[in-house]
Amino acid sequence: MGNSENWEHLKETLLFEYIFNSLYIMIGVAILTSIIGFTTAYLTSLYTFSFSRFFHYALILPFAIPTYIMAFIYGGMFDITGTVTTFILDILDMNINEVVFFDIMSIEGAIIIMSLVLYPYVYLICKTYLSFESASVIEASKTFNLSSWKILRKVILPISRPAIVAGVTLAVMEAVSDFGVMDYFGVSTFVTGIFRTWLGMGSIEDASKLASILMTFLFILIVLEKIQRRNKVYKSSGKDFRPIEKIKLKGFQNILATATCFIPFFLGFLLPFIQLCFWFIQSYDDIIDEDFMTLLYQTISLGFGSALLITSLAFLFVYNVRINKDSSSSVLTQIVKLGYSVPGAVVAVGILSFFSILDTYVVDFISSTFILSGTIIAIIFGYCVRFLAIAINNFEAGFSRIPTSYDDAAFIFKIGDIKTFLKIYLPLLKNSAFAAFIVIFIEVIKELPLTMILRPFNYDTLAVRALELTQQGQVIESSVPSMFIILIGMISVILLAKNMNKV
Amino acid sequence: MIRKLALSALVITSSLFASSEVNVYSHRHYDTDKKLFKMFEEKTGIKVNVVKAKASALIKRIESEGKKSPADVLITVDAGRLYQAKEKDILQSINSEYLNTNIPANFRDTDNKWFALTKRSRVAVYKIGSGIESKLSTYEDLAKPKFKGQIMVRSSNNIYNQSLMAAMIAHHGKEYALNWAKGVVANMAKAPKGNDRYQVKAVANGIGQIAIANTYYIGKMVNNKDASQREAVKKIKILFPKFENGGTHINVSGAGVAKYSPNKENAIKFIEFMASKEAQKLFAEGNYEYPVLKGVKSSELVSSWGKFKDDNISINTLGQNNKAAVIIFDKAGWK
Repeated sequence: MGNSENWEHLKETLLFEYIFNSLYIMIGVAILTSIIGFTTAYLTSLYTFSFSRFFHYALILPFAIPTYIMAFIYGGMFDITGTVTTFILDILDMNINEVVFFDIMSIEGAIIIMSLVLYPYVYLICKTYLSFESASVIEASKTFNLSSWKILRKVILPISRPAIVAGVTLAVMEAVSDFGVMDYFGVSTFVTGIFRTWLGMGSIEDASKLASILMTFLFILIVLEKIQRRNKVYKSSGKDFRPIEKIKLKGFQNILATATCFIPFFLGFLLPFIQLCFWFIQSYDDIIDEDFMTLLYQTISLGFGSALLITSLAFLFVYNVRINKDSSSSVLTQIVKLGYSVPGAVVAVGILSFFSILDTYVVDFISSTFILSGTIIAIIFGYCVRFLAIAINNFEAGFSRIPTSYDDAAFIFKIGDIKTFLKIYLPLLKNSAFAAFIVIFIEVIKELPLTMILRPFNYDTLAVRALELTQQGQVIESSVPSMFIILIGMISVILLAKNMNKV
Repeated sequence: MIRKLALSALVITSSLFASSEVNVYSHRHYDTDKKLFKMFEEKTGIKVNVVKAKASALIKRIESEGKKSPADVLITVDAGRLYQAKEKDILQSINSEYLNTNIPANFRDTDNKWFALTKRSRVAVYKIGSGIESKLSTYEDLAKPKFKGQIMVRSSNNIYNQSLMAAMIAHHGKEYALNWAKGVVANMAKAPKGNDRYQVKAVANGIGQIAIANTYYIGKMVNNKDASQREAVKKIKILFPKFENGGTHINVSGAGVAKYSPNKENAIKFIEFMASKEAQKLFAEGNYEYPVLKGVKSSELVSSWGKFKDDNISINTLGQNNKAAVIIFDKAGWK
């Protein structure tokens, strides 16, 4: 009885707000990330302009900044008492109540911050897609004497739609499963609701109900994405992997293109990075010590190991679908993807129960202590649940570029599965695999709630340390672990961009 | 780097074979605690292994791990979670003469399943010169229409607000508490967001007149590298409101021994150490908390804020009323 009472209460009070806010965030992030991500990918793939080579790398960089750190930095600068806000008010000699003020700590602010950090998903997938697909199409359209604008509208935008949607899906899933930013900005979403119901009201059942509504939403989203991918008009001919001849922009167009790429780079990376640098210089002395080196090493090795495992697993999933062509393996793969939309802490709690059952009933024969719970295995398993989706999306995009005629040819010539794999798929999928590896490596390094709950004794990561420091009110000091997260992210991103160049 | 690796490998293996250790699950994420663990290790030779996460997650972890849980000690930062841990039956009674004689009865569980280590009070912060100190003296006052548009307080997702509401329910009943919450919501200067420090900064900058915050956050703002925090606390003062029929709302951070603790002896030693004079001093000086041990003074800064009388509501009651508090917040529209 108690439970349905809780549920009635939720329906009467907050449920509508959870639904409305979550949808608002999903739509807002979808619109912003697709505009920023696609425009920048389009410009940098098809044209050269001032600093275009620089932007090729730089536009991915915001991805290296964890969202909660971004929220703290932006809050520190632009909230009602922020450094930038008070500076401007001082100049105007006015009080905050006398001016029109956009409060960054609002649902719109959260959408902007999420989009600035997440648009690289769209950028990356669109860019890989455009570099692969567009050369022949664009040349063909040119023979019809279409203007660049018309080519963009009539040809490139329609053929890029699957890539845009694939990127946006990831961005939206990450945004809607966020807890840190929404909680700090006072936005009630499904995820803050799940925690409130679970922790505050002590009702795990109702919290799971909320979680399942959220997952239903996202499952529909994934299915829609699949359907639109299937309906795409244009399919890879597979004949033509030539790079695009880039057009050089001049004059006003050149300035416009540079400005368009500079804005997301500036807001998503440069501005917060500059702020972090100032803080870093003030505090690195106090924070970097022997313990810090240990956690740096732990973070990197954890990221590397998990990324390697998840990339390989994702490949198996997608390869299995490709080879078997049956619907059950395809459905399984889509279900696995849902993990990305579940908040890290919820995944962690699920794993706690699951592993303790395993430990109690299965492993009991072998050992008297736990060998799964509270070990690295538990954490890595959690990352698999959360991040397989990203790697799978990468491989699906990669496989979709390999015409099925290749498989048929291999079949006709009786080339064995392993040989098909080594000779045909592997070389063609190298790039997707590398991209998946790097993206997951960065995600793992940034990951917070799951790591905190599942970690073994005395095991810290950079992200955990950054959070601890901000919770103690040492925002300045927290810049040190944050800076290392970003530096590791930057190095990875540069490797990734280099790899994309080779396309 | 290689030396570092070898060293950490050495530490890991040595910890594996160390016969004497204590496994601590802690919600406290302060650097002061790190120092305390080192002091304990040096003093007793018992190695301290730590996992830090939110108390509710740690409780869930101990619950799932069941009989084989390696947890010896659970530390939380609020009474509500200690109560929850006791309710879920993951703690055990311990018999420690030191703790029983030195920790006041209202700061330990009736069954000796948990012991408070520090206190924090939830106070009102106002801007110097605003004259609030003559208008506000009780928590009940916060709902009065005269404070319309003046109150800055964080979201009710936060456990400290939930405990404050739990105390309000204990004093006046649910109906009064709901009306009180509605009154406070009507008085808010901004929709709830940010943390306690955010509210204090807002009031210092003239947004709202009264901020609700925990005392130790203000201590941390005084000695902060961040100039905006240091500047903000220079402009404000602290006022200790009380309940009409009670004292100032306090919450505690405390510890208990896990039900299936594999190192029970060490666990008791550990909690006794955390309640020892030297540890209590460090809590007071390093983290600006109020020590629970008789005879240990608060830090000079904290003492300068003034004295207050603890509220008389038992800490277990705060935990019992937690769910009712959340429901009232929802009904009142306190985000």
